[in-house]
Amino acid sequence: MTTATAATQNADPRGTGIAARAQQLTKAYGEGETRVVALNAVDVEIARGQFTAIMGPSGSGKSTLMHCLAGLDTVTSGRSWIGDTEITQLKDKDLTKLRRDNIGFIFQAFNLLPTLTALENITLPMDIAGRKPDEAWLANVIDTVGLRDRLGHRPSELSGGQQQRVACARALASRPEIIFGDEPTGNLDSRAGAEVLGFLQRSVRELGQTIVMVTHDPSAASYADRVLFLADGSIVDEMHRPTSDAVLERMKRFDAARTS
Amino acid sequence: MLKASFRSFLSHKGRMVLSAIAVLLSVAFVSGTLIFTDTITKTFNDLFSSTASDVTVSQKTDQSDQDIAMSGQIKSIPADTVEKLSAVDGVKKAHPSVESEQITLVDSKNTLLGRDTGPPTIGLNWYHSDRSAVNITSGTEPTGPNQAVVDADTMDRKNLKIGDTIRLINGFGTVDLKIVGIATFTKTNPGATLAFMETQFAQKTLLGSTDKISKAELEAVPGVSNDTLKKRVQDTLGAGYEVKTQKETAKDAADQIGSFVNFIKYFMLGFAGVAVLVGIFLIFNTFSMLVAQRTRELGLMRAIGASRGQVTQSVLLESVLLGLIGSTLGIAAGFGLAVGLKALITAAGMNLKGASLVFKPLTPIVAYLVGTLVTVIAAYIPARRASRISPMAALREAGAPPQKSLKRRTIIGLVMAGVGVAALLGAATTSSGGTGGLELVAGILLTLVSFVVLGPVLARTVIPALSAGFPKWFGPMGRLSRENSTRNPRRTGATASAVMIGVALVAGTSIVASSMNSSIADQIDKNFGADFTIQANQSNPLPDDIATSVKKSDGVGEVVRSRMIGGVSLTYPDGHTTEKDQVVATEPGFTQMWKIDFVGGDKGKVGEPGTIAVSEGVADDHKAVVGSTVQVKFAATGQTVPLKVVAIQKDSKGGFGFGNASTIPIADLDKANPGTHDFLVMFNAKPGADKNQVSETVKKTMDPYPQFKVRDQADYKDQVQGQIKFLLYLIYALLGLTIIIAVLGVVNTLALSVVERTREIGLMRAIGASRRQIKRMVKLEAVVIALFAALIGLALGVSWGVVAQRLLANYGLELLTFPWITLIVMVVAAAIIGRLAALLPARRASRMNVLRAISSE
Repeated sequence: MTTATAATQNADPRGTGIAARAQQLTKAYGEGETRVVALNAVDVEIARGQFTAIMGPSGSGKSTLMHCLAGLDTVTSGRSWIGDTEITQLKDKDLTKLRRDNIGFIFQAFNLLPTLTALENITLPMDIAGRKPDEAWLANVIDTVGLRDRLGHRPSELSGGQQQRVACARALASRPEIIFGDEPTGNLDSRAGAEVLGFLQRSVRELGQTIVMVTHDPSAASYADRVLFLADGSIVDEMHRPTSDAVLERMKRFDAARTS
Repeated sequence: MLKASFRSFLSHKGRMVLSAIAVLLSVAFVSGTLIFTDTITKTFNDLFSSTASDVTVSQKTDQSDQDIAMSGQIKSIPADTVEKLSAVDGVKKAHPSVESEQITLVDSKNTLLGRDTGPPTIGLNWYHSDRSAVNITSGTEPTGPNQAVVDADTMDRKNLKIGDTIRLINGFGTVDLKIVGIATFTKTNPGATLAFMETQFAQKTLLGSTDKISKAELEAVPGVSNDTLKKRVQDTLGAGYEVKTQKETAKDAADQIGSFVNFIKYFMLGFAGVAVLVGIFLIFNTFSMLVAQRTRELGLMRAIGASRGQVTQSVLLESVLLGLIGSTLGIAAGFGLAVGLKALITAAGMNLKGASLVFKPLTPIVAYLVGTLVTVIAAYIPARRASRISPMAALREAGAPPQKSLKRRTIIGLVMAGVGVAALLGAATTSSGGTGGLELVAGILLTLVSFVVLGPVLARTVIPALSAGFPKWFGPMGRLSRENSTRNPRRTGATASAVMIGVALVAGTSIVASSMNSSIADQIDKNFGADFTIQANQSNPLPDDIATSVKKSDGVGEVVRSRMIGGVSLTYPDGHTTEKDQVVATEPGFTQMWKIDFVGGDKGKVGEPGTIAVSEGVADDHKAVVGSTVQVKFAATGQTVPLKVVAIQKDSKGGFGFGNASTIPIADLDKANPGTHDFLVMFNAKPGADKNQVSETVKKTMDPYPQFKVRDQADYKDQVQGQIKFLLYLIYALLGLTIIIAVLGVVNTLALSVVERTREIGLMRAIGASRRQIKRMVKLEAVVIALFAALIGLALGVSWGVVAQRLLANYGLELLTFPWITLIVMVVAAAIIGRLAALLPARRASRMNVLRAISSE
């Protein structure tokens, strides 16, 4: 996976093909009696250039799925790929490199290093890789997130929404194959959250980015192109072009199933 | 609350480990020193009080034992004193005792039986009483001339057996002795090398005459107290005798050992103090971090109703627990240390094998006090800070609390530094030793404390400069480590302070030592006019025949002997008398061999009969001019000789040489006070003779005297400088302890920082930083902190060293030299040590589970 190929892929904004996929992905904790299955033989494909949301009640395994897809967590069995690279085969060193060069992350909180300025945080993955950022692209990203006048600030001087936007900019700046978001708006008020989500949506539609986002908020999920519903470690449903209400209805059925 | 403290302590025990080690080391040093010195003291007290006779009679003299030994004189009383004393009412038995430490024993191969330094070699007469420290365990008593009984330890060490011949050398000459028996100590062997001889033979050999004995040892008749007997003896003998009871004898002997033991004790306790000081910083940091990390928890406690005092108390209670545990372990380690020291001193010849370690009640009291107080003091500020956490903190996002401004600290630090520097400048420019010394000490303390206070400020200003190149050299990790190291300047300052103290002490000491080295070398170069010297050592004056045989050796030109005589009274023309003075006695030609400066008179006449040379200061003070007369009275004989001033010596500033002692002729000394021996024999090769060959020839004639060395100027320098080096290595070794604790401090800070930054590290790993990069980040941070500490320590130590040298210039330490290599090595070593200290924390940081790290609090 080189930058060059990533760039060509990005040249086709709604690029066809698969950005990430998993086959019979199983993640279990413990042994014997106390064995808990978090993911149960999950098959999934994430289409390139799409905004995918993973939803499910708490404990459904949605975060675990994302972590396994992103190579942050090891799997018990099954295989998963980022692009054409099978990550379930990779050693820590190669996995780290893959994360660095091909994946962007946005976490719920604590996304930024407190000692670095906003700009330094945005370029950190490229700095770590020893690469020069593509200045034109970087300027484009910065303008898109609207942070040009905050670049010299440290995270402690930014609002929560601004911090998350810096995190988004960081994820985008290196043009990764895929960006994973773990409840990226979970800590934000609804206005700031909407701003970030709108921005993520634009980056998919306009910049051709692939994004996978874990959330439990139906209105957040409504920004996605496709929603995957997880329950008890399996994908039980999926929805294209979701609306907030439809997602909410679907989620209510989980609660009903649970309480019945 | 108690329960909460205890739980909290247990849950953070991992983070307390290094603090506990710091307490342990300090306490171990303190308790080990106490146990060890108590053991020595008790062993010797027991030995002395069990061997001292009821009443001991010896010669009364104004001279100190050291003066007597240096001039080669021997204390004695008339042999018939014993008969007189036997007649005294209440005396059961009076033993004549003969003993001398001014001897050397060699085996048939001319190697020493005794030791060069430390415990003495003693020649004694044999008699047995119930107070004898030894028993003959094989062979027989010495019954006639040229027989000796030798102590068992020496027999073993030197592989001697009964029937072997040894030689005894002293100021009177050389005698052969056949070993007829072996004596074994019934209790502790203090390490002395002993040779017992038949009484009459011992008198002749050791004292030069059968009319003399060293002491009379009296046994009292049961029912007569020692004090009563002492009084009766004093009445019988009159003045001129020193009479001591058993208690007094034991006490005097113990005092002598005591001053040596106290030296060891305070020396080691001094270093324990430094260790404690450094440990405080480590503990302070630990508690500061624990409190910062527990902000929410402590806020919660406040929210549910704990008072400020209770929060402070809970933190302090944890520190008490830490102190108690550290002290307990420290006392155990102290025992280990004492065992080690005992083994060490046994290897040096003092046989303490039989002695069990003495554990006085004071030892644990001091140990616990030191350990606990230190911990509580170090934890006090963090505990106070904890109490100021608002209940709102419980509700806020976790994270480092906002930092207070460093302004107040800067002002206080700068004021202290200013006063300290002024004191140092005062010390550097003063000519008075007393006030200068005070100013030096005050300056050192003030600048040290001010640097500690200014630590965070310096960290914030110096570290960015120091690591300015880091981003360029080491990329993003360099930049991050630079940022991290100044992120919490207080913490960095406190960590660096510990290293700084160690480095400053070593730097200061090494500058003084190297200046001392070069100053002495310079003085030797200036003063040393002779080609060769032979010098007596502390307890062995040179036998008279050494100068004689040197004179007879092929190729030897001029030979000049000189002696050191103590207990001399000098009466000057103005009527003033100096008591217990020390003079140099010598022969004509002295000023050629020993080149000191003269300000008046004819230095060529120094050493000629009837002359005296006095120093400038004394001459000015007491109206002595060339031609005036000085009355010289010798304590040993009470005789006075008038000597005419022929030369005035320039005042010596001290350091190497004879100081400001007046110089008198040996000829007059021998007449008025016979029985002194040479201290220093200086000689030249004949003009044209090959110096190496002359040296070889003289060395051969000196073969029977292995205790004395023929030295040329270079050898002499080596010998003197060797002594300085030894002292220096000792100090380095002990300061090493400080540095170890300081390194623990760096490890501690980094380990806790890594824990604190778990999420950051997790994030970095998630976005693609490799393990190696994380490791590098932590290591670079350690290196920059260590370098920073070393550099400010160096600045401090160098200024102390320079000021101390300026002050000591008044005492002969005239040259200032910098031990560049030592100083550079120290800075490089600090960087390396910092990197090593980072190994474990770096490893830990790099091994973190990414997911868990991100989701941790």
